[in-house]
Amino acid sequence: MEVLNSAFDFKDFPRLDLTIAALVAVFLAFFPVLPHSSFAMATVIQFLMFSLYGMGWNTIGGYGGQVDLGKAQYVGIGAYTTAVMLTKWDISFWFSMPVGVCFSVLWSFILGYPLFRLKGHYFAIATIATSLVLKDLFEVWDFVGAARGIEISPIQFPSPDFIRLIFKEDVYYYYLILIFFFIGILYMNWFRKSRLGFQLRAIKDNEEVARSLGINVHWAKIRTYAIATAFVSVVGSFHACYIKNIEPEDTMSLDISILIALMAMLGGAGSLWGPIIGAGILIPLKSYLKEWLGARAGLIGIDLIIYALIIMAISAFEPRGIWGIVQKIRRRRR
Amino acid sequence: MALLELQGVTKSFGGLMANYDISFSIEKGELVGLIGPNGAGKTTLFNCISGVFPLSSGKIFFDGEDITRLKAHEVARKGLARTFQVYVASGDMTVLENVMVGCFMHTRSRSKAKSTARQILDDLRIGDLSEALVHELPVASQKRVTMATAIATKPKLLMLDEVAAGLNPGEIEEIMGSIRHLHDDLGMTVILIEHVMELVMKISHRIVVLDYGRKIAEGPPEAVSRDPSVVKAYLGERYAQDSTVDGG
Ligand SMILES: Nc1ncnc2c1ncn2[C@@H]1O[C@H](COP(=O)(O)OP(=O)(O)OP(=O)(O)O)[C@@H](O)[C@H]1O
Ligand SMILES: [Mg+2]
Repeated sequence: MEVLNSAFDFKDFPRLDLTIAALVAVFLAFFPVLPHSSFAMATVIQFLMFSLYGMGWNTIGGYGGQVDLGKAQYVGIGAYTTAVMLTKWDISFWFSMPVGVCFSVLWSFILGYPLFRLKGHYFAIATIATSLVLKDLFEVWDFVGAARGIEISPIQFPSPDFIRLIFKEDVYYYYLILIFFFIGILYMNWFRKSRLGFQLRAIKDNEEVARSLGINVHWAKIRTYAIATAFVSVVGSFHACYIKNIEPEDTMSLDISILIALMAMLGGAGSLWGPIIGAGILIPLKSYLKEWLGARAGLIGIDLIIYALIIMAISAFEPRGIWGIVQKIRRRRR
Repeated sequence: MALLELQGVTKSFGGLMANYDISFSIEKGELVGLIGPNGAGKTTLFNCISGVFPLSSGKIFFDGEDITRLKAHEVARKGLARTFQVYVASGDMTVLENVMVGCFMHTRSRSKAKSTARQILDDLRIGDLSEALVHELPVASQKRVTMATAIATKPKLLMLDEVAAGLNPGEIEEIMGSIRHLHDDLGMTVILIEHVMELVMKISHRIVVLDYGRKIAEGPPEAVSRDPSVVKAYLGERYAQDSTVDGG
């Protein structure tokens, strides 16, 4: 009961924030009935998916301060579990998604146990490495289609299919991921106020002090990493049904891992709205840049340059991102 | 039965004996001072007791239990809380949130943690700082916050590492008042490190003196302050000789 109360309790935010949040929520709820291009629809779906990835990352990376650059491997585990179960055995999304979460969480425990013995940069590098290794394994694993990946052929499934999550129109995917998005926010709103949330912030502050307060630092990190993983895996499963064509190269690439972390850091690591703000800026930027640069293939590296600039700006000016700036201004006003 | 008992605690860093064969015990309800010159091994001893460092040899019993091999968080859960000599609060947590982390050792409920934290802050007379960010506070207040956070874990033994260092006389008076309050009114058992002798002399029942990693004296404040080896450790060989000459 207290869990639900806490999840729905946003009273510690100023009225202005809640008004903006409510307006955004209403906009998102009615977006599909407003006139829009299919490109805009795809972009908003991406925004919702990446917000969820970012929320997951934010648990361990933001509140816990453990920079994780390997989230793509869990996108892959979720996506592949759902795709394999659907194409090989015609198993429902609603079953394959939790199975994918189990695989992801299991893998996160196997990795987390040794990885969290590492500190700072070493941890970040190790997460990149494990993600790349897993991607390479999938690229040579015939059972999952190796480098070709898996195609979920929509012809086999008449639309709309809520069991397998195969729809012809994007609007179904839209509302589904929107529901996940709202659930994600409620979960994160509970998480940030939970015991684990507080313990993580203490760990980020000073691990030695955290231990002296009875916190099992290693275990707290592993648990949180599993939570982050579960978030990512759910969206990965969704990604498989939505994209319908998954390959190691685009589901598990380093780009995805970095984009997830970067978004959350740009918006504000360790804050509720940070990942959403970050996704709201970077995802449209990314898709419109791609659209705009489509013809000018020579300039394709420009999105990477923009990411690099953002990383530099965050580390030079405000490690807590846009939300950090907002908070600073507010504190000064008081 | 003693609340805390050290038996031959030894800790070496490479060739350096930071603690060598230290034995003493603390009874429930005592207020013990641990003193010694810079580098004597006081902080190292706290680290050994609280499970930060594994011992090179020796044993530590707490409340009748052997805690020698426990990890830091396990020791904390047994009821041993401590503050840190050098404390860098870098994060974005408020004072209240910091203290709540301590409270969360005994409850999952946020509202319970919050109300207990408020009580503790009021009790240490820093309730008005609740919403301030820890790293923005002056040192004196930060030290009180770390004390409050330690107390929030409801310890059986509170270990304070130089909570008065770097404070002005007025602030020292205040923090000593808080320590007395914790001990006299709340019945807490306390061991505190200070390297300024006068300060500890005033409030401790008993004093343990370390020098070069060894325990060189133990006893009531007056006796310890007259002990030639203590005087020697603090003021150098020559002074010790002079004073014995003077005395004789
Ligand atoms: N982690 C460590 N590694 C190596 N040597 C250490 C370590 N910690 C402490 N030492 C050494 O052990 C000795 C005792 O240090 P310690 O910090 O315990 O002294 P202290 O009595 O607390 O001194 P101070 O009054 O300056 O705080 C010093 O020589 C110090 O350099
Ligand atoms: Mg010290």
